[in-house]
Parts: sequence; structure tokens; C-alpha cells
Amino acid sequence: MAEVREKGYHHWEGQLQDKGRMFWPITRTGIKLAFQRKRFKFLFAVSFMPAITFAVGVYISERLEDFKFMAQGAERTLQVNPGFFRTYLSLDFIFFMILLLMALGGAGLIADDFRHKAIQLYFARPLTRLDYLLGKAGVVMFFVGLLTLVPALILFLLKLLFSGSFKFFLDYPWLPLSIIIYSAFLMVFFTCYVLLASSVSKNRNYVIALIFAVYYLSEIARGIFYVIFRSPYSILLSIPGNLQQVAAAVFQVKPALAVPWYLSFLVLSAFCLLSFFFLRRKLRGVEVIR
Amino acid sequence: MSAVIEARNLSRWYGNVLGISEITLDIEPGITALLGPNGAGKSTFMKIITGQLKANIGQVRIFGQPVWNNRHIFRRLGFCPESDAFYEELNGLEFLTGLLSLYGYDRKECLDRANRALELVELKDVSRRPIRSYSRGMRQRIKIAQTIAHDPEILILDEPLSGLDPLGKRRIIRLIKEFRDAGKTVVVSSHVLPEVEALTSEIILIHNGKILARGDIHFIRELLDSHPHMIRVKSPQYRELARLLAAEEYVLNITFEPEASAVVFETHHRDRFFNRLNELVLDPGLDLEEITSPDDNLQAVFDYLVGR
Repeated sequence: MAEVREKGYHHWEGQLQDKGRMFWPITRTGIKLAFQRKRFKFLFAVSFMPAITFAVGVYISERLEDFKFMAQGAERTLQVNPGFFRTYLSLDFIFFMILLLMALGGAGLIADDFRHKAIQLYFARPLTRLDYLLGKAGVVMFFVGLLTLVPALILFLLKLLFSGSFKFFLDYPWLPLSIIIYSAFLMVFFTCYVLLASSVSKNRNYVIALIFAVYYLSEIARGIFYVIFRSPYSILLSIPGNLQQVAAAVFQVKPALAVPWYLSFLVLSAFCLLSFFFLRRKLRGVEVIR
Repeated sequence: MSAVIEARNLSRWYGNVLGISEITLDIEPGITALLGPNGAGKSTFMKIITGQLKANIGQVRIFGQPVWNNRHIFRRLGFCPESDAFYEELNGLEFLTGLLSLYGYDRKECLDRANRALELVELKDVSRRPIRSYSRGMRQRIKIAQTIAHDPEILILDEPLSGLDPLGKRRIIRLIKEFRDAGKTVVVSSHVLPEVEALTSEIILIHNGKILARGDIHFIRELLDSHPHMIRVKSPQYRELARLLAAEEYVLNITFEPEASAVVFETHHRDRFFNRLNELVLDPGLDLEEITSPDDNLQAVFDYLVGR
């Protein structure tokens, strides 16, 4: 093709991005598109309210004497220990904000590509289906990580800072790892959850409804089963219930119900695994018959 | 000239539905048109050569290399899908730079290339406008811009002229011909016959997933001996002309068009017919205003081949 190139092809002498990072442009675009929505920016800011509140809590916990008039009777709540971090990372409000943000910024991740038939543009480029999935997953992971991992680690650092010693770290040396492990688990779970919902339909509104419906219906189903069977194992039907059970195990605190944590972990892991296979299959099936 | 795209025994099914069957062909540099009605298998073939679908049977090679899962090939290939495939919220420049970044170019190179492509398709002025505000013609051109922005050697254009106004069509046709002149291999699909005729004479006729014919449109027409050629002659003395030619055994049928002062002859031997026609013009001095071949076009050839 030498003579063809001489007829005006534009040579590229630079270094092409290596194979391992091909997903990054997709993630970057997804994050950018999410922030282009006005409501998203507002909700994103609101979602940091618990983190700010907890940061204030950390500060007060170190100045209990100064805040005695405010903290009377709340000493236990203001005790910063692994349970404090477990509470933050399994807060219903945090889960709700994750769902809300992902409904706005994540529902269209795959649904919009199906709707706009953009999948064919991706796969006519040097991109594998796995790159595509990783790119989309990166968007959800980014936001879930910003709401969980980053504030939790900052809270931990604030605790050290406000206490002025490493005693807290020496008391719980495994805590940073627990924060990372549980946050990573939340990131993986919500990524699978949101991407699965997004791949089910071309209609973003339907996906948004699905994201909320499945999450809260699972909780309703748990309630119904509990009323009928009076068994604590009904918690295995609930998404938030299972997440809280795993959180209790990771942060080494007593779980809400006497159900082995690994069962909840298995349920959620099986869900993630099934989602992954479904997504791969769904993307393999992007074939239009005309 | 060596083949750029080589397809060997390509077959693809969607469950029980046949997409394409036993397609074997070589495509060389220049413009090649895939022609066939909706559902003929054009898009399936294009999806296979762009690596989006895997053939159930057979193999396709580009520059001698298999296509499936071959990232290296995708860098040398540009695909323009038939349907609009945009993020409507993005502007033209963002759309192109986003897609270019998937090739691994750095940010500056993405911007340079996007701007160059936008200039080429005459969309530079509106590059900062959201795609949702683009007209049909602009959308078509931005799709072509994303096809060419990474300077591919092969362009696969699925129905690039669909939905365009005449001016828009002319613009795109000119652009496609420029790619050909630049030495690129262009594969264009269409179900609109005059559009294909305006682009190229090198065609591949597809129907029901099979290749019916391949080559120059006029050459294919010549091969269709089972169907007589139609020759329409417009003349003030069209009745006299018809009387003189009716005696020739190679004239099979004569149809009068009195309102147009024309007569349509059907013959198996076009050369002999035209020789005799020349004699008639010179000898009795008949006046001829126009000679056309109504069935020497893509539509007629296509109708013959599919048995309409």
C-alpha cells in the first residue's frame, strides 16, 4: 500500500495507547456525560452530606468534652470504631444516593448505546467486548468509589489527624483494608447491578425504574417472606440486607441477623457472576437482521 | 491488482434465518457497490468484514489477515453504519475525538484528526453544535467523518446516501469519489439503484444472502442473453422506422409510444440492430432524435436476475 499512503494519508509517528488501557476513553466519556446533566451535579454534591456529617462526628468524638452540651447521651453513637465505618458504608442514604446517581448517570450506559445503535461504532474499532464492558464499568466504579471508598478513607485519616496519634490505627490496623475490601465489593456489586439493568432495555426510563424497583422489591420480598416463614434467612432475598450482612463481617461487628455472612456474600457474588455472563451474551448478540 | 478484501465461502445464520450463504469474492481498491434489497445480506456481509459478526462458515481476510478479533485490521478500516449512532448530547468535535481516542491516539492527535475530518466533510463551522441539532445531511456527513478520521485504507459505507436531499447526495458522492481517487478501497451498500450507478460501475448484486452477479453493470447486462435488449428510438418517422425494422428476424417485439413519437424495439442482437439502424439513418434518411436503452441500467438488470 506504499503508493496509497503517498496520496495523502496522514502518518502517525506517535505512540499509540497500549492495549490494556483501551477502556479508558469510554469511562472518561461516561463520566463527562454524567456531569453534563444539571440534576446530576446537584445530587452528586448532596450525596456527600453523610460524609460531611460523619466527618463532623469524628471531630466531635475527639472533642467530647467541648461538645458535652450537644453530645449528651450520644457518646456511643459518636464512638469511632469499626462499627462507625460499617455504619457509614452501609447507610441506607448512601445506597439510595448511589442508586439515584446511577439512575441519572449510569442507566444509559449501555441502554443508550443500544438505542443509538452505537455498539457497532465501538466494535468496528480496535476494541474488544471486554474493553467495552470495562469502560462502562469504570463509570459506575468511579462514582460508587467516590461515595464510599474515598470518604471512608478520608474519615479514617481525619480520625488519625484529630486524635493526633496513631493509636486508632494501632488498635485497628486491619481497618483500612476492610474499608478497601468492602468498598471494592460495593463497587463491583453496583457495577454489575447497574450495567445489567442498563443492558435489559433501550429505554433509559425503563432502566431507571428497574434499578429502583429491583432494589426495593427485594427488600419488600424479604419482609413478606419473614412474615410468612419467620425465618431470618429471608434476608438473603434482600439486596440491602445482604450488603449489610457482608459489611458486618468485613468490619468484624455483630451482624443484624444470625445468618452466616458467607451466604449473603455468595448470593451477591452469584448475582455479579450471572450479570457478567448475561452482559457478555447480550453484547455478543448485537446482531441486526435486516 | 491484488485483492484487499478476500471472502471465502462466507455463511452466516441467525438461528434459522439465513443471513448470507457461501459468499466468495475478492474486493480490490476503488469503489465497489453491494446492491440488493433490504434483507438481502448486505449488512450482514459488512458486519462480518468489519469484525462485528463472526461467520458460521468461511473466512474473510483483509490485507491477507483474518478479520475476527484482529485489532490491527480495525485500525486500517473505517465503518459508516446505516443507522444514526450518536450521543446526541455531544457536539461533532467531541463525538469524533471520543471515537478517535479508542484508537489510542493522544489528545492532541485526536483533536487534529477530528478537525481535519470535519473540514473534509464541510462541518467545521458547526463542530461545536450538539449533534441533536444537526440536519439529516449533516448527520450523514458526521458519520462519514468518523469513518475517515483515522485515515483508514478501507472504507465500509452502509447506505451512505439514504435520506439525503439531492444536494447532500451529490456532496457525499463527490466525497466518496475523492476517497477512491486517494487510492482507498471503498465498499458501499445501497438498495437504491440510481445512487449506485452514480458512484461506480463495479457492483456486486446480492439477493437472499447469495451473490447473483458481479462486475461492470453493462457487462452483466450483456451476459443476460435470455432477456432481450430494449432499445428506444425517438423519431418523427417512428412508424416508418418500425415498419422497416419489423422485417428483421432479430427484432422480437415492437412497442409504440405515440405520445412521445417513439418506438421501443426488443432484440437479442444489439450489434446487428444498431448496424441496421445506421443504414436506415444514412439510406432512406430517417431523422432520429434520441436513442436510449431503457433496460441497460441497474434496475433492469436486478429485476432480470431476481426473476421479477
